[in-house]
Amino acid sequence: MTELLVILSASYFLYKRELRCLRFFQQHEYNAKRYIAWIVEQRAFDTRGSFAAIASAIFPSLSIVSSIILIYLATQEEDPRKSGKIKLKMTERACRIFRASCTLSLFALILTQISPVSWWLLIALFQSAFLIIPFANFILQRGEGKRQKQFLAEAKAILAKADPYVIGITGSYGKSSTKDALGQILQITLGPTFWPAKGVNTPMGITQEIRTHLKQGYKYAVIEMGAYQRGSIKRLCELTPPHAAIITAVGIAHLERFGSPENIYLGKSELAQSVPDNGLLVCNGDDVGARRMAREHAKNTTLLYGFDNSQNDLACYVSSFKVTMEGTLFTLHWKGMRLDGKTPLIGKAALSNILGAFTLACELGAEPEYVLAIISNLEPVNNRLQLDVDGKITYLRDAYNSNPVGFATALDVMKELPGQRRILMTPGFIELGPKQYEENERIGKMAASFCDLAIVVGTYNREALQVGLQKGGLAQEKVLLVDDRTKALATLSNIRQDGDIILIENDLPDLFEANVKF
Amino acid sequence: MSNSKEKVRLAVMFGGRSAEHEISIITALQAISAIDTLRYSVIPIYIASDGVWYTGDVLLEKSYYKGLPASKSTAQRVAFLSDPTVCGIVPVSTDGTLDLKKAIPIDVYFLAFHGQYGEDGCLQGMLEMANCAYTGCDVTSSAMAMNKYDCKMYLKAHGIPVLPAVEISKKSAMRGLKAVQEEILGTKGLDTFPLFVKPCHLGSSVGISIANTLTELNSSLAKTFIYDDKAIVEPCVTNLLEINVSVLDGDPPTASVVEIPVASKKALTYEDKYLRGGSKKTGERTEGMASLSRIINPQDLDPKIKEMVQSYALKAYLLLGCSGVGRFDFMYDLAKSELYFNELNPIPGSLSFYLWAKSEPQLLYTNMIDSMVERAISRRVERLTLKRDIGFKALLLSN
Repeated sequence: MTELLVILSASYFLYKRELRCLRFFQQHEYNAKRYIAWIVEQRAFDTRGSFAAIASAIFPSLSIVSSIILIYLATQEEDPRKSGKIKLKMTERACRIFRASCTLSLFALILTQISPVSWWLLIALFQSAFLIIPFANFILQRGEGKRQKQFLAEAKAILAKADPYVIGITGSYGKSSTKDALGQILQITLGPTFWPAKGVNTPMGITQEIRTHLKQGYKYAVIEMGAYQRGSIKRLCELTPPHAAIITAVGIAHLERFGSPENIYLGKSELAQSVPDNGLLVCNGDDVGARRMAREHAKNTTLLYGFDNSQNDLACYVSSFKVTMEGTLFTLHWKGMRLDGKTPLIGKAALSNILGAFTLACELGAEPEYVLAIISNLEPVNNRLQLDVDGKITYLRDAYNSNPVGFATALDVMKELPGQRRILMTPGFIELGPKQYEENERIGKMAASFCDLAIVVGTYNREALQVGLQKGGLAQEKVLLVDDRTKALATLSNIRQDGDIILIENDLPDLFEANVKF
Repeated sequence: MSNSKEKVRLAVMFGGRSAEHEISIITALQAISAIDTLRYSVIPIYIASDGVWYTGDVLLEKSYYKGLPASKSTAQRVAFLSDPTVCGIVPVSTDGTLDLKKAIPIDVYFLAFHGQYGEDGCLQGMLEMANCAYTGCDVTSSAMAMNKYDCKMYLKAHGIPVLPAVEISKKSAMRGLKAVQEEILGTKGLDTFPLFVKPCHLGSSVGISIANTLTELNSSLAKTFIYDDKAIVEPCVTNLLEINVSVLDGDPPTASVVEIPVASKKALTYEDKYLRGGSKKTGERTEGMASLSRIINPQDLDPKIKEMVQSYALKAYLLLGCSGVGRFDFMYDLAKSELYFNELNPIPGSLSFYLWAKSEPQLLYTNMIDSMVERAISRRVERLTLKRDIGFKALLLSN
């Protein structure tokens, strides 16, 4: 009877616990190695369950009490589907993993109850609970691989049948915004265009979008291609062979996973290589890496775009621009034409993405004036350097996955806008490998030159940012250190006042700032 | 009406694949609460935004829609077949099969959609194929109403005043903006800015903008073509009063009292400045669509204007061959003292019941629904009794 109660309470506890683990596993893109490394680094091992079990392990007569405590603790575990910045999405895959891990947990629980030292074994089980999710995933992998192959083949067949003109876009940053702009431009000026939803840039994500949305009759397809290691773009190009490509930048994002800046360059080059010789290659002329790619993988038509036309080789360039509260005004030059335009999007980085889309669309035959008309209607993507005015306080939200160039742009815009105090709230950047510290310190220093207050979120980059801010001249009492985003927002609401310009830069996945306890 | 002892199985249909999906849910739930349950048994049919059909009593609760998409599975998925011998909806089993023996019989489909794929003749066509009785306008009148340009030009040809307008297709803009600009500015009455650009088929205010310059005109067209493949361009009347009226089927059809919808913050301006007669007394108000406040049967509006609105609406109703309840929206240019027909809503928000409740004689929502259902049943029979089967002749002769 007691065994039954123990099994019931412990399985309820593990049910809630596995759900939480699944969320972090999902945020690590179902990568067991990275997920386990993260748990170990965070020392996010079980304390609560083991605490409840230890009493009964020593005094087995307390089993019922421990069971009740376990039930109570289970009710206190947060529901990751409802809480947290990035919630657990119960996709079909997540459901399959969760079901398998529940089955595994129950099986392990029953085994512990057969043993005479059942509570000691339970402690061991709680301690290793975080491994059950990746283990379940490992078991399912074989089926998963087969299913994925089938979906990929289906998507390929759909694409082959529709046969649109495919444009691949990659870059360390700006690719998603460039894709959105280009998709809208082509759709209105040249014909039905397919482009996957915001941020979808992996083989399975694109496969899913193709299977649900791509139909015969689409004339163009704009595909954002994400690169996390060498070969990822090559794989994507096999799925959606490109006729043309845009390279927005070759930076140092995901440096940790790539290993070296040269590997990043080579990884991104896979897109340019996949474009046939008679195809079209459009590269950001302001970016050294993108320029090099234009040189090393030149096609029949290779065009550069950007701001700096000192070498007189940009096919499309902006000679002047101005950020206002309503958006960005600019003058661009294309094939001997001088055109004035405006866009609700804010800042130089957004304008650079627009230039890439403009260049490619016009080269494909779109009317430049019409393209500018569409650009004047582009809607800011949520949290990508979005400007909101709340009473007399101006918010600049640049919460999406930040990078050194985007951060600098956001700081530039903040500096230019009319206001009194300038407040920066940020956890810094991540995944920059050996450059992590250096880059965060550098950006802190840059911000300090005109910011009046800084709120440093989390501990991940705390030291680097703090040092940078102080080197830049911001007094120690003007740098506020907070543990997490919730506390940062609370601090912000206490200190803000009319006339403030507040930049919220980079909202990291929970993995990098939350203090996770199990 | 059918057998008085047996209830009419009334399927209330709503949701659908349009921008006004949510408003449709509100209209439907409102109508359901007004339906006489002694006469009808209500079967809700909800078309989700992805186009999948559902039925079940859970659809009567607001919580179902708040809980979407998780709550989806609590309703029964159904399919509609255009086969006239079924004339009902068929549950879709979990393994995806249909069993015609399990079909849920339906006598009348009560349509509470707004916007495309529900109010524009598409669904009506589907119901016609299956020989079903349904409320409201038929295929032709729905389709005419949903193309703002065609509707205006048709009524204009029959002597109903409308603003000058031009229709621009997405395709012609793709071919070149210059020609499009020339076409717009070359149209009589559209030669000066500001111009009003809106999607030709959409009911809500999505995709609408005002252009003051050529550059802005390009921008306005580009904005409209995000939502629609046709844009309608009109002069922008700056000093205007909107006046709406509802018309209901009957022999002959009748017009309700008129209403003046006003954006809440402008309400005072309109009342003080523009209402005729000089008296400070404001009209009556009612709870209509949440975002709008409206003045129903404004006491200070010139009775001649009211009469004009009502008679143009009745004329347009007959010209377009409407059925059921429709709402006709007019614009009154205060500077020129001229009235123009603007658009027809074949399925108006809240079915305009609030106008009928204030009309003389008063018509309550419950009775209005009765009248719409009766008309649906009689229209179906009228069509069924038309002789269609004239046998095989050509084939027999060729033998």
